[in-house]
Amino acid sequence: MMKLGELAGSGALGRHASDGLYFRTGPFVTRLETAYPPVLDLLARFYGETEVFPDPVIASFNVAIRRPLGPRRWWRAQALFAIEDTLPFEPYPLSHAYPLLEWGLNWSIATRSNHFLMLHAAALERGGRALLMPATPGSGKSTLGAALAFRGWRLLSDEFGLIERASGRVAPLPRAIPLKNRSIPVIRDYLPEAELGPEFEKTRKGTVAHVRPPDDCIRRQTETAAPAWIVFPRYIAGHPTNLRPIPKGLAFVRLAQNSFNYRVLGRVGFQHLTDLIRRCACYSVEYSDLDSVIAALGDMTAAPGPEVP
Amino acid sequence: MSPLLRLFARPETAPHLSPTEWNLVLRAGHSQHLLARLGFRLEAHGVADACPRAAWDALEGARYFAELIQVQVAREVRAIRKALAPLGTEVILLKGAAYQLAGLPLSLGRHASDLDVLVQREQLAAVEARLLASGWEATKLNAYDQRYYRTWMHEIPPLRHRDRDIEVDVHHALLPLTSRLHPDPALLWAESVPLDRPGLRVLDPCDMLLHTAAHLFQDGEVKDGVKDLLDIQGQLEAFADQTDFYPRLLERARRLELGRPLYYALTFAHLMLEVPVPQGVLAEVRAFGPGPLADALMRRLVTRVLDPHYPLRREPVIAQWLLYARSHWLRMPPGLLTGHLSRKAWLRLTERPGHPVARPPSQGGDDPLA
Repeated sequence: MMKLGELAGSGALGRHASDGLYFRTGPFVTRLETAYPPVLDLLARFYGETEVFPDPVIASFNVAIRRPLGPRRWWRAQALFAIEDTLPFEPYPLSHAYPLLEWGLNWSIATRSNHFLMLHAAALERGGRALLMPATPGSGKSTLGAALAFRGWRLLSDEFGLIERASGRVAPLPRAIPLKNRSIPVIRDYLPEAELGPEFEKTRKGTVAHVRPPDDCIRRQTETAAPAWIVFPRYIAGHPTNLRPIPKGLAFVRLAQNSFNYRVLGRVGFQHLTDLIRRCACYSVEYSDLDSVIAALGDMTAAPGPEVP
Repeated sequence: MSPLLRLFARPETAPHLSPTEWNLVLRAGHSQHLLARLGFRLEAHGVADACPRAAWDALEGARYFAELIQVQVAREVRAIRKALAPLGTEVILLKGAAYQLAGLPLSLGRHASDLDVLVQREQLAAVEARLLASGWEATKLNAYDQRYYRTWMHEIPPLRHRDRDIEVDVHHALLPLTSRLHPDPALLWAESVPLDRPGLRVLDPCDMLLHTAAHLFQDGEVKDGVKDLLDIQGQLEAFADQTDFYPRLLERARRLELGRPLYYALTFAHLMLEVPVPQGVLAEVRAFGPGPLADALMRRLVTRVLDPHYPLRREPVIAQWLLYARSHWLRMPPGLLTGHLSRKAWLRLTERPGHPVARPPSQGGDDPLA
């Protein structure tokens, strides 16, 4: 198996990427075309352990980061994200080419991958069982997810709870974790061992910096996990940790609202979401202190599971 | 022939495709919104299980969005039927809605973009008033567009219900009033077939196919017509076994003045999708065709433009432009055309430019980037 990191630094990566670099992204293979080296450098730095394919394989997404022809190639230079022959987004400043690739890939996954029930959630694994944390606004899910990923949990995904429709299991999609604004100093302070990429300023979401995913979660990116817990986190400054079971009906409704394709899947989506909720213990947690919420989640995994309607 | 069309023509070759060929099929199929259809076709030919897993995931996954739109189309049809019930008027469903509600296999996985219906011209004003009173709104409010539709077109300006996403095109004829061909709507109504829901009809199978042919080769610029060509393939497969189908088809083409579009439809379905049209029929329909020079040119242009060869070579820009020019030429007389195009050019110069970036259809879920 060839790894992305092995191609980096030798010029081989650039040669591959100019006529299509095939690399693994969790359950998917992405084909990337780009002639812009900084994007490749960062990709290799974050995903050095990911598998690359020297010969063409069937790719789920065929994407490119290009520079426009015409004046904007050089004057206030721009970058374009293309999937197949369409450009789903407005051009970005060239200096934001890397976040554009990450966003574009997320968009591509979310609009196409209907062989999964796709939840907008962070997912982590411990002892073969998966924790799903839906991304309600203000939840602090990326910060909490990043913290857990370095405190005894395996990061499955920061953005996607991918439920395999055939098995009901959670498929990993480990990617660099984009931290926004105030989360960046929080994580720098809390996780000195975590490696952060460059800070991209003045993006659509303010300043963004990516946490490099732990190598182990990339190496195990095809290893699925059984869903066991659904926890709706909510960050409230100064609030003590309060983890408590919630009714499954409520969890269902809130999860349906935090899904990328629940509506598109129709009846199939309803069936899979119902199955998922039945299998999982459902909680909500308010928190402000990371140590304390991590401890509470650890206790939760030891408990037999709550009795709730 | 591109790998995508070859697979539509010969589904049984699916197990032998290389990863590179699959990638070409998937890329072109995504771009043209044809993957869901292809998946159903492969399944019907018993080769779904022989497809590589990654390819099948893409083909199967594409179904849900097509099905979601079909649910919306069915709901829109119910709403229209309800709104028009007090008038006691009937509508003929056209194109996608017709295939869907008539239960034709070709509607499986077919992406509808809007809902087309035909009403009697004398009832047009009443129908429009009724729809406007029931929550539908005109989507084109510019005075020139309004006049353009009402004076020259075969439909009123598109409507959309204020609570829903489907565009409804209400037609009173199959081709623009200014077109060189004038299929008589009275003939279509006379042969139309009632559906099991009162108030709804579909065209007679021959007329249905002739309408698709007219839409592709007479009314449109052909460019995005691979979907229409597949509709023609699907209808030929569904109808060809009916007794006397081809003789009737030729006879209806003559009566409806749609011989030329039928010539192109049968010729290109045969040429590009290997549809087994009997040799005798191909010879007979040749009488509707153009002279040898125009015929040779059309064969060259249409095969280049219709076949989604993406992304192997540059877009066939010149061929596309020639067919675009042809479509306008067929749509209206030269004087009117010059006036219309200058008017459009003037509006483009003076109006504020719109959003330049095309967006693929969203799945209606959350925006992961929001």
